[in-house]
Amino acid sequence: MATQDTALDTRSGRRSTAQRNALFLRIAELAPIVIVLFVLFGGALVLALLQSLGFAPWFGINTFPDFSYFGALWGSSAFWVSLGLTLYYGLVSTIIALIMAIVLSLALIKPFRGKTLYKYLYKLPLMIPYTVGIALAVLMLGNGGILSRLMALVGMIDNPGDFPQILKTHYGWGIIAVYVWKQVPFMTLAIYAVLLGIGRETEEAAAILGATRRQIFFSVTLPQILPGIVSSTLICFAFNVGAFEAPFILGGGYPDTLPVVAWRYFNDANYAFQLQGMATVVSIGIVAGVILFAYLAVYRRYERMRGRA
Amino acid sequence: MTQVQLRAVRKEFGSFVALEHIDLNIASGELVALLGPSGCGKTTTLRMISGLDNPTNGEILFDGKDVSEVPVRDRNVGMVFQRYALFPHMNVEKNITFGLRVRNVSPEEVSERLEEILDIVQLTQFRHRFPAQLSGGQMQRVAIARTLITKPSVLMMDEPLANLDTNLRGEMRRFIRDLQQRFNITTIFVTHDQVEAMELSDRVAVLFDGRLEQFDTPDAIYHRPDKISVAKFMGASNIFECTVADGMIKAGFADLAAIGTQAFAQGERADAMVRSEAIRLLKEPQDGAANQVEGEIRTADFFGATVSYTVQVGEHELNVDEHSTEKLETGSRVFLQLPGDRIWLFPKRAN
Ligand SMILES: Nc1ncnc2c1ncn2[C@@H]1O[C@H](COP(=O)(O)OP(=O)(O)OP(=O)(O)O)[C@@H](O)[C@H]1O
Ligand SMILES: [Mg+2]
Repeated sequence: MATQDTALDTRSGRRSTAQRNALFLRIAELAPIVIVLFVLFGGALVLALLQSLGFAPWFGINTFPDFSYFGALWGSSAFWVSLGLTLYYGLVSTIIALIMAIVLSLALIKPFRGKTLYKYLYKLPLMIPYTVGIALAVLMLGNGGILSRLMALVGMIDNPGDFPQILKTHYGWGIIAVYVWKQVPFMTLAIYAVLLGIGRETEEAAAILGATRRQIFFSVTLPQILPGIVSSTLICFAFNVGAFEAPFILGGGYPDTLPVVAWRYFNDANYAFQLQGMATVVSIGIVAGVILFAYLAVYRRYERMRGRA
Repeated sequence: MTQVQLRAVRKEFGSFVALEHIDLNIASGELVALLGPSGCGKTTTLRMISGLDNPTNGEILFDGKDVSEVPVRDRNVGMVFQRYALFPHMNVEKNITFGLRVRNVSPEEVSERLEEILDIVQLTQFRHRFPAQLSGGQMQRVAIARTLITKPSVLMMDEPLANLDTNLRGEMRRFIRDLQQRFNITTIFVTHDQVEAMELSDRVAVLFDGRLEQFDTPDAIYHRPDKISVAKFMGASNIFECTVADGMIKAGFADLAAIGTQAFAQGERADAMVRSEAIRLLKEPQDGAANQVEGEIRTADFFGATVSYTVQVGEHELNVDEHSTEKLETGSRVFLQLPGDRIWLFPKRAN
């Protein structure tokens, strides 16, 4: 009952200070449940949505419902460029990481010398934070970075400054490199586990039936590791679209990716931009949500088609 | 269609020796059963013939030609896996036609051969189902159809009937035998069921612990095993020591007339086997009958069509199978006749 009241109150818009205090008290009382129900199950999202629609009484702003923030955002061409960049970095790095992860997990299935050691080594990036990865990228890939110095040293370029611009361009090779570096082990882990589960027998059966290695991969192995591919790409893509540090440090500047745009809004001295930031965040959420949902829906359909309801 | 030979084949997995030294000549169009207890190397043997594994030593020949350099996909063998290995993401039709599609057979021919084989394995009504929606027996028939449709020259089946109920098992045995004869495919069939091996095969290869113990017709394996181990694996229960003398054998409980004694020296120690169904059991002694001994029934186990009696004869116990039309009580006095031509002798040196 109490939870329902709270929800009703929140929706009723204007209220006095006394009422507001009472509300906060009640929330405090219900904190454990509220935290679980609201914070974990999308309370933050609801709040973001409310803010993006003009509800931010704590900044003295409350014009709910107000679509002008979305209007301003979606009306500017910079937003669409940012969205394009965001999706581009997210998608390209997911695809590259996926291909590398598939190759790696297929290699890991086969016995080879030093396999045990290698199985530890490839997981290393999983334990190193993103920020360290970003720092490594700057150290390695920047002009004046280790790679440029090495190339200058062996005479492939005249001086480190001539090194091709990898970081801080809108191609985003630095961002993609960091994402890939971090996510290949993760995806490999997921796909390798699925591969172990399906075993080698169907591939062997296919070979005996006359299939080439290529045919075996595309018509026998790939369809069977799809669950691992879908789950890991889903997670990585969602992360890449929402991540902020890598594009912030390694990106090409204006127009930035959406999370960076949002961050700039939040950091603005003008509180009003907070709401614009929220509109950006909500936009990311909507786009990512729609894409991921569609992706899952297609996959579910495929699974149902092959008789796995 | 293809003659298969294994010459001194040995297989090691690390330090573990799975197959020690196998010599096996399988004639073209022959149906051979590989029989042996779990872990004796049956699957390993098939995997090497198919090319999925390579022998550590020795060679495998098809029609006299070494196939060690021939990749799996070009050997034109068929294999029905112990666990079927159906493609879970393909329906019955797609599973069955896989081998034709990857070889770029024309769609018309694919569908023609599909209809034919679906009819043979009686899966027409399940053609659109996925493996997860099939029963064990149906999956198995898909696995067989998928293999047969490619018209392999050597067909291997790894315990294809292990997961079936008794009725379906009998049906599938006849089905496999029919197919094998119709297409005259050299077939190697793994089983650890002696009855199945004897019913189906032209010859049985008995494998123990990575060694080929005997390779012969079912009749020979059953009645004239080379070794006690083979006899025991084939279910022989009456094996006793004896001494050969004057065309007779002296067993602990009686002196018996037996054939085949001329192969032994006077006074040579030997082991004798007599099948429990070969022994006649009588309530009254028969005058002048050879090899007749007196005993007392210790136990009687009912098996439906037969009753298995344990009969105490002197210090020995003999096992006798009789029709279950009349069941005798334990403790009854009975007379056993051991036909001399049904006593099989093993030289001591063979074991
Ligand atoms: N890849 C492998 N690595 C190590 N040992 C193996 C391998 N494959 C088989 N073996 C061993 O070789 C022996 C023979 O195995 P195989 O699979 O041929 O037995 P099998 O006769 O088919 O038994 P079952 O009737 O239980 O199927 C077993 O002891 C097994 O543990
Ligand atoms: Mg086996």
